[in-house]
Amino acid sequence: MSESQGRVDVSVASGIVTIGMCDVYGRNALSGPFVEELLAALLAVGRMADSRVVVLFGLSDVFCAGANLDVLEKVVAGEVVPGDHLLSKALLDMPVPTIAAMEGHAIGGGLALGLCADISIIARESRYGCSFMNMGFTPGMGSTRLLENVLSPAIAHELLYSGERRRGADFEGRSGFNHILPRADVRSKAYEIAERVADKPRVALEALKRVLSADKRRAFEETRATETLMHAVSFGEGDIRQRIKDNYGQ
Amino acid sequence: MTHEQVTSVIIKHLVRSIDELTPETVDVKKSMKDYGANSLDIVEVVSASMRELKVKVPRAELATITNIDGLATVLLRVWNEKQAAAPNGAG
Repeated sequence: MSESQGRVDVSVASGIVTIGMCDVYGRNALSGPFVEELLAALLAVGRMADSRVVVLFGLSDVFCAGANLDVLEKVVAGEVVPGDHLLSKALLDMPVPTIAAMEGHAIGGGLALGLCADISIIARESRYGCSFMNMGFTPGMGSTRLLENVLSPAIAHELLYSGERRRGADFEGRSGFNHILPRADVRSKAYEIAERVADKPRVALEALKRVLSADKRRAFEETRATETLMHAVSFGEGDIRQRIKDNYGQ
Repeated sequence: MTHEQVTSVIIKHLVRSIDELTPETVDVKKSMKDYGANSLDIVEVVSASMRELKVKVPRAELATITNIDGLATVLLRVWNEKQAAAPNGAG
């Protein structure tokens, strides 16, 4: 079974559900329509009764780039309430194990999304980081706590403060990413793991997932409220609009 | 500050971003892309070089640069302008 809606592609084979983020035109940035489509896909996959594992991947050079300029300007101006944290929540709440195959860059909300998966694979050549503070406002989408699932708190905090987008290869030997591989090998590794997982009974997978993800889900819920409060403070300050423009001019 | 010094700052940051690239093999007439740098690699190399030289170049101007030598020329020009504006070495 395969159904294509344009920006997000969902397919199922032998209990392995694949969600492909493939907004080539928008470069997998979290635009309004893309968030809507991805959220619908995640929720629909979450309701599938016969799934046993979910693989999430993006474009080969960009997994997900966080909010796009249009969305960010509206959020900072208070015109829209950001809905992208619902993506994090939908992935965290998936009843079966999830694998993020992050072949391409994952920045800001895009990295947060990938880190909501139970198993994460990154590419040596791609870059990963949180650019929120480069634009003058505090991190969102749960990233203040999610990074600590794969990085030591010290390294996670350094990336959050500095806004540095670090190469996957630079995390080798100093992170909890499940695998750091040449870009070309990321997706096949994800399916290799998925096939092992999909061999297990759904009921057992569901029970184990609920237990193993409990801390992460709780931490996410706690930090969401804090991140929203910090946004209320930091969005109103200084030269944020110009910083956002500069960041997206790159 | 000489053109060579600025170039070596850029190359230092470029080799940090690319596996198996050594400073002596870099041809400044080439683009960083020719060495496999992706868009975010270039952003990091340029911003690290600007930080080290303590200069800021507007994004619009950066967008017109086509090779490493061109980047060095712009960074040196902005560095010189900054020195002229602060002759006592301030800033």
